[in-house]
Amino acid sequence: MPSTIFLVDDSATILMSMEAILRKAGFIVAKAASGEDAVATLQGGLKPNLMITDIHMPGMNGIDLIRKVRIMPGCQFVPILVVTTESQQAKRDEARAAKATGWLVKPVQPDDLLKVVKQILPNG
Amino acid sequence: MTGGVKSGRGGLFAANERRARIRLTVLAGILLGASVAAATVFNGSIIAALASLGGISLGYLLGRKDGPMPATIRSRMFRVADDLAQYRAFTRLLRDQGARITKTTGDAAMALVAGIGEIDASVDRLRALAERIASRDAEELGPLADALGASVVEMLGQLQFQDVTQQQIDFLARLSLIVDQHMIELAGQLGDRRSADRIGDFKDMFNKALDDCVMTSQREDHHVALGLDLHESNGLKVELF
Repeated sequence: MPSTIFLVDDSATILMSMEAILRKAGFIVAKAASGEDAVATLQGGLKPNLMITDIHMPGMNGIDLIRKVRIMPGCQFVPILVVTTESQQAKRDEARAAKATGWLVKPVQPDDLLKVVKQILPNG
Repeated sequence: MTGGVKSGRGGLFAANERRARIRLTVLAGILLGASVAAATVFNGSIIAALASLGGISLGYLLGRKDGPMPATIRSRMFRVADDLAQYRAFTRLLRDQGARITKTTGDAAMALVAGIGEIDASVDRLRALAERIASRDAEELGPLADALGASVVEMLGQLQFQDVTQQQIDFLARLSLIVDQHMIELAGQLGDRRSADRIGDFKDMFNKALDDCVMTSQREDHHVALGLDLHESNGLKVELF
């Protein structure tokens, strides 16, 4: 059974391109265009094997989303990758403190993305 | 930061009215002082005349400080206020153009993703077909399909440019809003010299814009614009905590 990856980004371009890359690599992809949508989707029963979120989103930002997800039943241990243009070390530290799993700076090479994803989900 | 700032034109007109009244008062004071001085000279009282002349000088100085604004200066102030309004229109134009660029690139990127996805699906069908055909030519199609598939992934990755440039354009729009705010405050101060110290320092506002940067490249550009030789490490592109 392929792993499910949950993408959260307010950019439709990013959602579509990353979805295509991950689907092509054999993953099942679910998407949300905001932090609030992501929370609603998870509350609706989605159990992703990995979450990938942007940081700068209108409304609930990525860091707040991670904090929220970490206290949701069944989601405490879901790996969460942050993919963002933000490069400041302070923000990385904030994400680490919120218990993010890793940090990728956009633009991310598809090979780099797939390598990290496969590192986190070795069984695909 | 800018408490008590008067609204642009209203404040300017009110201040000019006030100055016009002060001008008349001071002029009347000068004329009165001159009359008294002349009268006392004729009466032989030199001390009184000197005192009156002192009053004239004081009136003149007061007139220079708080007196009416000459028409040329007033018209220049109107001109500056007009120019400030034009600058705001100009920055609005820049923001609108940025929004158009973002929309155009966004639409194009979405169309490209959809098109690339269709090409990829066709390549997959081609590969499946080639696997069913037992011929030497068909064997060559497999590697070709794989190469096309790799190009598809590469192109999909490149489309992230749209999101990155959108964020850069958004940042420029936020910078122009800072300039706008400052111009609004300056326009509000044109008719009120006494509250000029309440105008926010643009340098401070410019420095605050640094906090709004999300990319190392933006912070680098900011430092260069300030003439600072500061370089920030890019950090790892990929980092697992």
